[in-house]
Amino acid sequence: MDHLDRYREIVPDYAAFRAVQCIPLYNSARINTLKIEPEKLLERLREEGVLFQSFEWYHLGLKLDAESPGKLLENLLGQIHIQEELSMVPPLVLDPQPGECVLDMCASPGSKTTQIAQMMQNKGLVIANEPSLARVAPLRSNCERLGVLNVAVTRYDGRNFPRGSFDRVLVDAPCSSEGRERRGPGVLARCSRERSLDLKALQVSLLKNALRLTRAGGVVVYSTCTYAPEENELVVQEAIGESGDSGAFRLEKVRIPGLKECPGITEWNGERLKDELSATARYYPHVNDTGGFYVAKIIKN
Amino acid sequence: MSPRSSRIRNVFEPLDRSIVAKLWQERFGISEQAFSSCRFFRKANSIWAIGDVDLPALSYEAIGMRIISCKDRPWKPTTSALQVFGRYATKNAMNLNKQEAMIFLEGGSQVIESGCDAGYVVVFYRGDILGCGLYSHGKLISQLPKERRIEKHYQEQ
Repeated sequence: MDHLDRYREIVPDYAAFRAVQCIPLYNSARINTLKIEPEKLLERLREEGVLFQSFEWYHLGLKLDAESPGKLLENLLGQIHIQEELSMVPPLVLDPQPGECVLDMCASPGSKTTQIAQMMQNKGLVIANEPSLARVAPLRSNCERLGVLNVAVTRYDGRNFPRGSFDRVLVDAPCSSEGRERRGPGVLARCSRERSLDLKALQVSLLKNALRLTRAGGVVVYSTCTYAPEENELVVQEAIGESGDSGAFRLEKVRIPGLKECPGITEWNGERLKDELSATARYYPHVNDTGGFYVAKIIKN
Repeated sequence: MSPRSSRIRNVFEPLDRSIVAKLWQERFGISEQAFSSCRFFRKANSIWAIGDVDLPALSYEAIGMRIISCKDRPWKPTTSALQVFGRYATKNAMNLNKQEAMIFLEGGSQVIESGCDAGYVVVFYRGDILGCGLYSHGKLISQLPKERRIEKHYQEQ
């Protein structure tokens, strides 16, 4: 946990941030509108005596008071999908539209992929890319259980994904997952600045390729479930930096009504970062009683 | 198996909509219209369905949803496909009561009186499609994949 001390200066109400790490996260799920009307689903849960509470900021998100929500009949039938609360944010920021062509570069296990597919009403095309063969199975299984018909799976190394002119690209990058401590205690024990720097190299390459694969006017969303600036603002700065001054890319403000975000940082370890990084969003666990997340929205001019 | 034939088996080949629709029409009475917004591919022993879009030239691991297994005769619809297209069935569909549904969800077999033809059937419970069953000699045998079954203790509640 001492690892978190490096964020003392950037996290508001640091004592509360530390204290919340020991409090386990509740279970949550997303209603799959490809399979059921939200009202009908809520009625079913009431009938079965499952306690739930809808998110204040997303009508399809539910906090579930169930020991094994994965065993609920509604989950087996694909009417709900067990998904972390903040994991539902990046697809909403991406805002995919029916009929578009979207790339989800690091897709497995497919929570965000299937949310994107659902937002597109099963129309258009989502390319769900996942290099690891072992991780393709849960990705496919989730897509099929949720009744998704607009997803095709590829297995490229995202850094070398060959071609495309996508309307939108999601890079939910591999990260040190510091924001998952409330879900899987012990995550922080594996985190270090060195590990974050190693991951940064991969993340920058993924994001640069995503920017290349996006059409002019298209949107790239970069997200992680970690706090390390090395894996967040520094990645975005480096990926857009080279052409940032010429205006090839711009950052759009990330804001989800009903969910409190903190602005991306513009200074780290005495180094000044681009001011526009304050348009990106940091979500802290003690602010909304969630996990931790970082989200940036980049527009290709 | 020669390398050449194994390579062919791993390619997604486009398949005519009418060929796939005919199978579903014959077994379940589903009209071709139900598939009008899909295109189909065959790879090895499976048939896949995806929305009617042009696919970029990429190397694919999966295209849409696996809807049919042709490994054995007769062809077998996947539970995922029945959950999407089964609602258009006009024959060989079965409605279960709560107790029967629980046995089905657990992966079990049970005697059920039905006018269905022997073979694969669409299994309904309270308006939801639970998945694929095999009806044979008056018995309904659950075909639910293991990861989509419910644990036994659920049934005993």
